[in-house]
Amino acid sequence: MKALTANRLIDGDVVFWKSGQWVEGFGDADLFDDPAAAEAAEGQAKSQPTVVIDPYLIDLMESDGLWAPLSYRERIRALGPTNHPTHGKQAVGGEVIEALLHADGAARSSGRVNLIKRK
Amino acid sequence: MYQYDAVDQEFVADRAREFREQVARRLSGELSEDQFKMLRLMNGLYLQLHAYMLRIAIPYGSLNGRQMRRLAHIGRTYDRGYGHFTTRQNLQFHWIKLRDAPDILDQLAEVDMHAIQTSGNCIRNVTSDPYAGATAEELDDPRVWSEAIRQWSSLHPEFSFLPRKFKIAITAAPKDRTAAKVHDIGLMIRRGRDGQLGFEVIVGGGLGRTPYVGPTITEFLPANRLFSYLEAILRVYNRHGRRDNIYKARIKILVAALGAEEFARQVAEEWAKIGPEGDLPDTELARIRGAFATTVFDVLPAQSEVFEAAKAADPALARFARNNLRPHKKPGYTIVEVSLKTIGDTPGDATSDQMDVIADLAERYGQDDIRVTHEQNLVLPHVRLDDVPEVFAQLQAAGLASANVNLISDIIACPGLDYCALANARAIPVAQQIAQTFADPDRAEAIGELKIKISGCINACGHHHVGHIGILGVDKKGEEFYQLTLGGSGAEDAAVGKMLGPALPYDKVASAIDTLVEVYLRERREGERFLDTYRRTGVEPFKEAVYADAH
Repeated sequence: MKALTANRLIDGDVVFWKSGQWVEGFGDADLFDDPAAAEAAEGQAKSQPTVVIDPYLIDLMESDGLWAPLSYRERIRALGPTNHPTHGKQAVGGEVIEALLHADGAARSSGRVNLIKRK
Repeated sequence: MYQYDAVDQEFVADRAREFREQVARRLSGELSEDQFKMLRLMNGLYLQLHAYMLRIAIPYGSLNGRQMRRLAHIGRTYDRGYGHFTTRQNLQFHWIKLRDAPDILDQLAEVDMHAIQTSGNCIRNVTSDPYAGATAEELDDPRVWSEAIRQWSSLHPEFSFLPRKFKIAITAAPKDRTAAKVHDIGLMIRRGRDGQLGFEVIVGGGLGRTPYVGPTITEFLPANRLFSYLEAILRVYNRHGRRDNIYKARIKILVAALGAEEFARQVAEEWAKIGPEGDLPDTELARIRGAFATTVFDVLPAQSEVFEAAKAADPALARFARNNLRPHKKPGYTIVEVSLKTIGDTPGDATSDQMDVIADLAERYGQDDIRVTHEQNLVLPHVRLDDVPEVFAQLQAAGLASANVNLISDIIACPGLDYCALANARAIPVAQQIAQTFADPDRAEAIGELKIKISGCINACGHHHVGHIGILGVDKKGEEFYQLTLGGSGAEDAAVGKMLGPALPYDKVASAIDTLVEVYLRERREGERFLDTYRRTGVEPFKEAVYADAH
């Protein structure tokens, strides 16, 4: 399972792809189990250079019966910094945030690695 | 401190206007991200994990109350009410929006500040002694030279696109508070046998992937020849630096490849071609020097009865005095270090409210002078001993009175994976755990000077290589692990630390530090710091204890 993420140009905020738009919460993101659909969305996202910077796909894993980013780095992006629990997206709380906080599988961000390789 | 003249002010305001146009062109799509990235980095604006980060230049770590208050205002208005002081004596805001960046640069320009030379492959903001102008140890005021270098290097057309970034540190005291020996150029002010001022020139130090303590290429450079000599060094580097490989592009690699002697020979050859025409006119140096000569001190007795009585009555003040006050060159004055390492807080962070308090204290009690240290603390360099009890009380009320400067909880930590796009592992929570382990102030004082430095990746913004105990976060198959090094120093006895053994998992680091400290306390001899004991015993007793515990 994958999701598509980027940073929004105008404010740098972490955003996720949802039906051709960008949303701020991971819980609202489109989840792709079809690699072709994921890549198609990534292609569409790249055609929005005045909206987002460097869109890339991230791998997901199951946590608390929900989906969470596999990589620790991506979970921090989706939550906020661990030294300030009231900063970033984690501040809103809720079951998706809890699932992200409880996810303990750690791995490199595969999408990010591809992005670096491409550069 | 140095006051901007009309030319300086216009220059900084122009730069802010230019950036406003560049941002507009990026948002309209006229500039691509690749085109824009270099322009934003030239104004200190990075894209990090959660937002943009703006790194603001605090030249040689020196600012006044008005400037500090403006930073507080920016933090409150455009960030989340705090800022992060860095190991380059700068300030970073971590939650900046691109749309606000032009307004922020305007606000900075109004108080003679900017974000130039905080990023990019140029000569970066110069590091200097935070006690400059206040310590009796110094041979000259290094701020004069730092400011001259700032003016010479700002947007220098020849040196704005170097092979890689370039960092200069200047110190004028035997006690090095700038980490000069691990800078691209370290300048140590010396006095010649004939009484003439000059510089020992160290080139090719650095941290990061390939750490080096820089070799001295000139023992004594007459002070009035500094700028032609710097130009010669930069020219040799600009010509031969490895532009083909980012990991080999710093001057340290060139110096190591050529050898210090050959590098010095090439510099001397270039220097002869440049000649004294490349030097700063004495009149210009005198103008800059004049800007720093305005501090007026009262004639006071060396001992303050008010201070002595307050210290005797308040053990907390006595502890603060032991650890955070330093001798001042003038009787009746002291240098006050303000620790940004409150146990449990983020190293180097100050809230906007705290910045306002520091600004008030500087204006009321400290000749309107504030310094940032490369160890991520603040300094009020000129405080009357009579005023220390009041300053301490106000610092206490603001949560800024931790009496731990140079002690084990005075930890340097980079922002790490909590913020930084380059990091492999977190640094801040590791620092917090260690600080909490040593929260008992009596124990911390009994341990004495012990410098722990933590970086979240090999780029070494947390200076881990030169920590008495260095901690480097690594990504081991996706998990956060930490490599420990021992025996480093960024001071006058500079050394790169040696690796202790296999990396430790996140939750084992603080207990490993505790074990290292126990070994030190067991092994130490009278008067030895942790570093001294390590240098005498070698790594073995430490290694044995940590890995015996780990298994």
